[in-house]
Amino acid sequence: MTIIFIRTLIIFVVLVIILRLMGKSQIGEMQPFEFVITLIIADLACVPMADVSIPLTYGLTAVLALFLFHQLLSLLEQSGSFFKKVISGKPSLVINKDGVDIKELKNNNMDINELIESMRGAGYFNLDDVDYAIFESNGKLSALESKNKSDSASLPIVLVYNGKPDKKNMLKAHLTNENIQEFFKTKKENIKNTEVMTIDGNGRVYLKQKNKKYTITSIPIKRSELW
Amino acid sequence: MVKSIISTVIVALIFTCCAIYEANFTKRQFEEFNQVLEVLYEKVDEKTATEDDVYSVQANWVEKKKYLHIFIPHNEIKEIDLWLSESVKLVREEKWEDALSKIEVLRELSEQIPKTFRTSIENIL
Repeated sequence: MTIIFIRTLIIFVVLVIILRLMGKSQIGEMQPFEFVITLIIADLACVPMADVSIPLTYGLTAVLALFLFHQLLSLLEQSGSFFKKVISGKPSLVINKDGVDIKELKNNNMDINELIESMRGAGYFNLDDVDYAIFESNGKLSALESKNKSDSASLPIVLVYNGKPDKKNMLKAHLTNENIQEFFKTKKENIKNTEVMTIDGNGRVYLKQKNKKYTITSIPIKRSELW
Repeated sequence: MVKSIISTVIVALIFTCCAIYEANFTKRQFEEFNQVLEVLYEKVDEKTATEDDVYSVQANWVEKKKYLHIFIPHNEIKEIDLWLSESVKLVREEKWEDALSKIEVLRELSEQIPKTFRTSIENIL
């Protein structure tokens, strides 16, 4: 019984640590330790149920041990913000008044496409539709809508991310490398300093340069080039 | 909060009591079984053992295993059942040497099985 308890504790702790390291995208509306319990409790209950050579006590011990860990972690979480931060992580502000915070995204093992996907899930299609976006510790995106939310009827796509142009999306937008270079030349900016650049079918561009506030600008495109 | 603390303490207490009981119970049961086996071993060694002696050991084991099933994997219990059954036949046929080796295995099993439930690094890993 004690051995099962210790083994359950080891597996539980390792899984919680791994999930915390995996970042918020791996968790679906649960705290990391709750997610771990959901992952393993079904198996723990099923194995002694189906395999008659294992005493039922083994399954019950492990399930009770999980209940105990859950209660202890919940109590620790309630006891102070330090424990809450360690056990469940803290919310991440991925969009602020200056635009997308790439560093914060990377801290959560996410990229711009995952952020855009989560924003779409929350009903926002442009990066500047929100003033603030926060990935809660359970992986859910909360956003504060911007007063200047655009009513653009076209879906934005990522043209440049982390200084690297997305060739596939450039083709979709009927833009060439030269067009992009030209755009940066006129803006007196460097593509390598670009954290995010998106464009929608109307040519509306969201540009976020390193250590600068984002800007909204445009690239003239032909009407026929809408996607 | 209070409800959480109370339920945690209760579960922790139940758990601790059960773990202590399990450790003592299995140890005691196997120690007793080992003593019975030792008597049988001596009788077989002196070639004075009868079929009934082995049957009484078997009956003793049947009584113990009823409760050991709660804590010990059933396959390990089955293993002892099999070795005991073989011993009955060998004693009946007075094949003393073969019977001795079977009882030796049984003694070893009754010493080793409780060890696998002891809280130690090798058992945890």
